[in-house]
Amino acid sequence: MKLLLPDILLVLLAALILGHDLYKGKVNLTSSAPFHIAWLGLTVIFIVLACLPYNQTALYPGGYQVTGASLLFKQVFVLSALFTVLLSRPYFMPGGNQRGTMKHQSEFLFIILLCTFGMFTVVSATDLLTLFVGMELSAIPLYILSGFYKDDDLSVEASTKYMMMGSISTGLMLFGLSFIYGAAGSVTFAAVAKACAANPGEPLLRLGVLFILAAVGFKLTVFPFHTWAPDVYEGAPSPVTAFISVSSKAVAIAFLLILLYEPLAALHSSLQSVILILAAATMTVGNLGAMKQERLRRFMAYSSIAQAGYIIMALTGDAGNARSSIIFYLFVYAAANYAIFFIMSAIGRDGEEQRSGLQGLGRNNPGLAAILMLTAFSLAGIPPLAGFMGKFFLFAAAAKEGYYAMVIFAALNSTISLYYYLLLVKEAYIIQPQAEVKPLALDNVQAISLFLLTAAMLLAGILPSVSSGILAVAG
Amino acid sequence: MNGSFLLTMIWAVPFITALALLPVDRDDHRRIKIISLTGNALNLLLVISLTFQFIGVSAAHPVADGARLSQFQFTATVPWLQMLHIEYNIGVDAISVLMMLLTAIVIFCGVLASWGVEKQAKEFFVLLNVLVAGVYGVFVSIDLFTFFVFYEIAVLPMYLLIGLWGTGKKEYSAMKLTLMLVAGSAFILAGILALYFESGLNTFDLQQLSQHHFSPEFQHWVFPLIFVGFGVLGALYPFHTWSPDGHASAPTAVSMLHAGVLMKLGGYGCLRVGMYLLPEGANMWMSFFLVLVTINVLYGALGAIKQTDLKYITAYSSVSHCGMVLFGFTAMTFTGIKGGVLQMISHGLMTALFFCLIGMIYGRTHTRTVSEMGGLMKIMPFLSTAYVIVGLAGLGLPGLSGFVAEANVFVGAFANSAPLYRICTVLAVLSIVVTAVYILRAVNGFVGGPVIERFATLTDASPLEKIPVTILLFCLFGMGMLPGWIINLVNEAVHPIYNNLMR
Repeated sequence: MKLLLPDILLVLLAALILGHDLYKGKVNLTSSAPFHIAWLGLTVIFIVLACLPYNQTALYPGGYQVTGASLLFKQVFVLSALFTVLLSRPYFMPGGNQRGTMKHQSEFLFIILLCTFGMFTVVSATDLLTLFVGMELSAIPLYILSGFYKDDDLSVEASTKYMMMGSISTGLMLFGLSFIYGAAGSVTFAAVAKACAANPGEPLLRLGVLFILAAVGFKLTVFPFHTWAPDVYEGAPSPVTAFISVSSKAVAIAFLLILLYEPLAALHSSLQSVILILAAATMTVGNLGAMKQERLRRFMAYSSIAQAGYIIMALTGDAGNARSSIIFYLFVYAAANYAIFFIMSAIGRDGEEQRSGLQGLGRNNPGLAAILMLTAFSLAGIPPLAGFMGKFFLFAAAAKEGYYAMVIFAALNSTISLYYYLLLVKEAYIIQPQAEVKPLALDNVQAISLFLLTAAMLLAGILPSVSSGILAVAG
Repeated sequence: MNGSFLLTMIWAVPFITALALLPVDRDDHRRIKIISLTGNALNLLLVISLTFQFIGVSAAHPVADGARLSQFQFTATVPWLQMLHIEYNIGVDAISVLMMLLTAIVIFCGVLASWGVEKQAKEFFVLLNVLVAGVYGVFVSIDLFTFFVFYEIAVLPMYLLIGLWGTGKKEYSAMKLTLMLVAGSAFILAGILALYFESGLNTFDLQQLSQHHFSPEFQHWVFPLIFVGFGVLGALYPFHTWSPDGHASAPTAVSMLHAGVLMKLGGYGCLRVGMYLLPEGANMWMSFFLVLVTINVLYGALGAIKQTDLKYITAYSSVSHCGMVLFGFTAMTFTGIKGGVLQMISHGLMTALFFCLIGMIYGRTHTRTVSEMGGLMKIMPFLSTAYVIVGLAGLGLPGLSGFVAEANVFVGAFANSAPLYRICTVLAVLSIVVTAVYILRAVNGFVGGPVIERFATLTDASPLEKIPVTILLFCLFGMGMLPGWIINLVNEAVHPIYNNLMR
């Protein structure tokens, strides 16, 4: 049961937070107890996860499987949830954010945890049904979360749009899964894998895979299914945007990794060209879109679309390389993304979360500006930061299969991305603010989180033990 | 001190200097500059002692004339990421030692030349030191992965250094320079990955890769990737456009370092990674690149004629002179390659001094337009004389460093008997005449002539400013008068590369 401990703890934690409010009766909106319970609980779960053995595999009744790779994914999800919780703190406090104060913190935290549990289910699944249930459990809470500013038109619009798009993708996914079920006659991975290996040319299978790719494409913001992302990212509350951009992407890519390398492994070689085209188009669209964005959440939407392009490029590699490079990249991507969002929340206290809010940072908050610069460089893949190592592994996975042209294309694309990441640096250091700008104030939570994230970005780039640990488990 | 430890120290010292600057009070400029200078002075001593050690060692183990394997001294290997066999693998041969010596001299002078930086001095010197650490790192690495990492570290600080402390259209220049150089490294990264996977050796080690025979088809497409990738930094035509803008906008020390040392990383990479690892690719592509490089040499020189801004003149002349580095390499003869290496050193010294002097003159006159100045020889004789001397070095006057290098380059290129090479050499030699035109015209324009009223009260160089100028002048003369020891060292290092090319 040891390997199941994190999952159990997560459900208990969610129940505890919801129960806390029920037990208290009249809800005290400004109480910070749920917040403290949540981050402490998540930290404990992360420590438990980190202490588990990564070389064991356990299959529990009902087809719930825990492997080293799935534990690594769970680490990503828990860390992401943890930082979302930490990030959300000022948004629930009066005066913490210009856009308004969110209410019902316990529900917010509960939904985040529930969503994370859905993601846990996806990476532990051994049959298509569990996989699907997990995907839905991780998707539906996000529709609620993006509308959490209940009085804000943009937020409501984002929620509606996200739900509409999400349900179409759910439909497509069910469609695809049922085709695969039809071809294989069973929903378990083992049976599907057998059917695929026996008859890889089966049109029903191909059709199913295409539908599934389209459906996951929505969640992963792969071109041409990315169009919802800028609006939803813009409208949703910033912590939710951060959570969507990291966790939701991570679970979608986990879903693809599981499907492509376990049940559908026999089809993998015939999907290479589709993956390459999708990857190339996605990174280009994301990069070109991000250049002109003034508003930071929209900016991050396009940036994350481009990052999705790099990530799926690694799906052309063999199982070990793809899995290890993608999981490593998710860690570094999460660290960099959350760092940007923490800086955004600091800007958002007194101003709009816009690029121009960064002006004067180099003089007033030299530390914060340095962190921003490191983060931007990490996202752009500049050594010796973690982002470089991450991209290097992704590129290597594709290069190993001989797709050198793709590697050049992707590397040139990340040069384009450097342009708009440098715009952030330029805003912070070079452009002189028009009016006198006050230094940004950071509270303790923000300061500590930023410190941890920066340390992670530096150490994962410089210390080989971090990367090789992850590579060894997943590969 | 143990040689390989010394190598690590040499790139670590600037890095530690940068770290040591972090806790210093932002307004304590004096302390910031002193720490910076101490760090780089220490490093200069380390590099000089490395040079002496290297000369000793290489005298004890001479490279055979027919050797095909570059001989690296003071090697050390520390596994870094074992799964991919990435190693922190260091070692130097004569070329890298000389380049490090050049770097140490230029940065020491650069710190002295930027004593006047008042705006956000702390950030300036931190970035400058990080950049220098990257440059040293490239020269000591013989593992392609670490090589690439250091290469990028050397390129990126440039953005802020130009964008924040530059002049003119600095934001545009900074962005253009950074993006073009990083685009170049995109090609390099792809090339390195291709070398790694195609060799099947699972190693980034330069020596092991050089032992492996890559198939001609493979070399045929990878060589231009790597050559162009590094060529962008070496201002290869048509990828040189970042250079005039970048150098003209950059603050003095950064121009010195960038034109003096960083551009040489491009040539160094072309030679060390491109030509050394992919000799057959080099043979296939060289006539193509020869044409590009000839355009480089001529176009840079002609471009300089048209300019009126002193910095732009020097920046275009850098394009022309850096073209000569690559011209020497593309000549595919022993003398040519040797000339290219010598030109790297000579141009490094020369251009650093050019930018240093221009920075000092601009600091006084607040204009860099030649036509607005005049009679400076009477007002600031020291700076003007130095400018005349370095100008003469630029046009290849015997007795100064430029002659030694250019003579080798052109003799080497002409020695290649293919008709195309003959034609291109003749064309490239023409650039010397053009160089004479723009240098003498500039010198005539602002050094000679009547004294302009508003400049009459300006002062000559302060003692502090005289130090870097004197050091660089001394080196220019030293290399011009006593090139023997440098040529001997370079000979040894070029032999294996040349033999590899000719197999």
